[in-house]
Amino acid sequence: MLTAKDIHIREIHEIASLVEGNLTQKLAEMGCVPGTQIEKLYTAPGGDPIAFRIDAYILGLRKSEADQILIKENTVNH
Amino acid sequence: MKNIVLIGNPNCGKSTLFNRLTGLGQKTSNLPGTTVDSYQGEIVLNGEAINLIDLPGIYSLFTSTEYEHVVISHLLGDHGNRPDGIVFVLDASNLRRNLLLLSQVAELKIPSTCILTMNDTAKRRNIGINLSEFQELLGLDILPYNPRNDDKTDALFDNLGKLKIGHRIYKTPEFEERLFEHFKGNKIRGLSTETLNRYGSIDGVIKKISFKKTNKYSFNTLKIDRVATHPVYGIFIFFLIILALFQGVFTLAKYPMDLIESGFSWLKSLASAHLPNGYIGDFVQNGLISGLEGVVIFVPQIFILFFLIGILEDSGYMVRASFISDRIMRKIGLNGRSIIPLIGGFACSIPSILAARTIRNKRERLATMLITPLMSCSARLPVYVLLISIIIPTSVFWGPVPAQTLLMTLAYFAGIILALIIAIVFQLFNKKKQDSEFILELPTYQSPRLQTVLHSAWIKCKSFLNEAGKVIIIISMVLWALSSFGPENAKIEAIKESQIAALQNDPDSANIRKSLLLEASYAGHIGKFIEPAIKPLGYDWKTGIALITSFAAREVFVGTMSTLFQAGEDGENVVGIRDKMQSERDLVTGKPKYGAPYAISLILFYAFALQCMSTMAVLKKETGTWKWSIILFFGYGTIAYISAFIAFNIFS
Repeated sequence: MLTAKDIHIREIHEIASLVEGNLTQKLAEMGCVPGTQIEKLYTAPGGDPIAFRIDAYILGLRKSEADQILIKENTVNH
Repeated sequence: MKNIVLIGNPNCGKSTLFNRLTGLGQKTSNLPGTTVDSYQGEIVLNGEAINLIDLPGIYSLFTSTEYEHVVISHLLGDHGNRPDGIVFVLDASNLRRNLLLLSQVAELKIPSTCILTMNDTAKRRNIGINLSEFQELLGLDILPYNPRNDDKTDALFDNLGKLKIGHRIYKTPEFEERLFEHFKGNKIRGLSTETLNRYGSIDGVIKKISFKKTNKYSFNTLKIDRVATHPVYGIFIFFLIILALFQGVFTLAKYPMDLIESGFSWLKSLASAHLPNGYIGDFVQNGLISGLEGVVIFVPQIFILFFLIGILEDSGYMVRASFISDRIMRKIGLNGRSIIPLIGGFACSIPSILAARTIRNKRERLATMLITPLMSCSARLPVYVLLISIIIPTSVFWGPVPAQTLLMTLAYFAGIILALIIAIVFQLFNKKKQDSEFILELPTYQSPRLQTVLHSAWIKCKSFLNEAGKVIIIISMVLWALSSFGPENAKIEAIKESQIAALQNDPDSANIRKSLLLEASYAGHIGKFIEPAIKPLGYDWKTGIALITSFAAREVFVGTMSTLFQAGEDGENVVGIRDKMQSERDLVTGKPKYGAPYAISLILFYAFALQCMSTMAVLKKETGTWKWSIILFFGYGTIAYISAFIAFNIFS
């Protein structure tokens, strides 16, 4: 399934769900919950971590962390 | 007195609001039962004095670091009473995430009120908020207020006077009990599901009160970030900023330091004029006043560096520095967040070790604290300056760069390189990867606020003064005693010898006497006692004494050498000491006794060894055990010894 680490810069997506694990609670607290808009903004040198727009703010996530966020397939919005 | 606490997310303008409310009448003190500092200030509300407390910014009550845990302990009244009131600070431009914390805190049923910040940003992003509906839903008085621009505080105090228990937008059974379980360190089941459901309710609220005219956000911040995090420009900018930081410290700190020095020499001359000769006068001058000077002299450098770091932090850049460095830091067992303590280490390890508290992973936090003392702090600088002047004169240039500047940079890099090695080795010993995480908000850039920055720099200085101040003064006094007293017969010898010099009308006789007396003192005996141990590094007993006195603060080395080489009172007279040191020849080989090999060896020793008692004390406080202080003392000491030994033998 598509995760946040796979999406392209400036494409607006919607979060489908979170992978159950150690980070679930932390990511949920930070607003990464189903239905939230997510957009990849830029990356650090080397492509990791990645900065996302989560609803109304910018959140930096490592690739491995972004991989815990599942993305709805059909919500691409340029 | 009643306590009212400020609660909100990080970066929501809470601290600026706190500054607005309390003005200059604020102090920092440890929150009860913890070592976490909090800002507190007294305000008068409806004729009643009230203690306002600014708690650390958090995203959720189910916090993960000890530093954040303070908020729960405070709200639950774990130490002393529960707060009498809460002021929520909500970021209007990011309401949804901000409401999560509010929805949790509301379950504690403490009388509250609400301030809405960042209204201008929300407006720019076309977010409208229906205030009366919002107040209705929360059951709280809500005041839109921009703490950065609005300077009228009447409405603010008016709002604070309207504390009431609000509605719970989301209710869970036994919330308090579960929060207390979490506080005790027990795992709470179903927390993430609860969080998702909370967001469900919050979305219901948002739908009713807020409307967006457009779907796309425009972040001005984004334009800056595209450059600041760029693979080429971003890294270039990072190093440029670090360079500017150092240049700034070196040029700016000079003036206040000169001022402090002349102030203290005035104080010393005053003491010598009014106090009787002998031990008391000498103690006041060279024990007490010198000890105080040894503390105060660092304040300008520490203040200026942390002031400049504060600007970078408050503007939002530091978070970007963490963002771009995380990938490399992670590889060596650290975290992007480690960059802030490590840069601070160049000023002083003490506040920097405290700054590592924001690192959530325990192992990464420990690794960061362990290598921070390897960053060359401001106390090493004067030592490097003296030693480098022995190696090469100011006039020498290697290409366009002054050779001394290059050597200084190398000295700093020696520490950085060892820090990297230690981090890697530490990682090898702690293979078990436990929940390393980054997850860091990149806040909107903003122009730094002078008051906030000044205040945070002052707090850093205060932690230096509190932790190191006492230690430096006490050690200075002990060292004064060691260098003033000595075995009686040795002392008589020294006085006799100095009398001979005086009889021969040596213009230096006063300095010679001082030097001979020091040699005859207990400190001199200790120096001679350890000489065999440090001889392989190229040091003699004089250097031995200076190494010991350095335990107060490393820069004391310069003053001690000055006394030993009879360069006169003025410890800062680097040229004087250098000339005297360079003029001494080895009786056997005829080579300079204190040449380049000696200086290089000593620079490496100072770069690596953990000679700072205060750092060891802070490390103990933060880790809860003396274990790491002791390991570092002997570990870094051994590394310092071996590398100094190798360097001395290679270069001589």
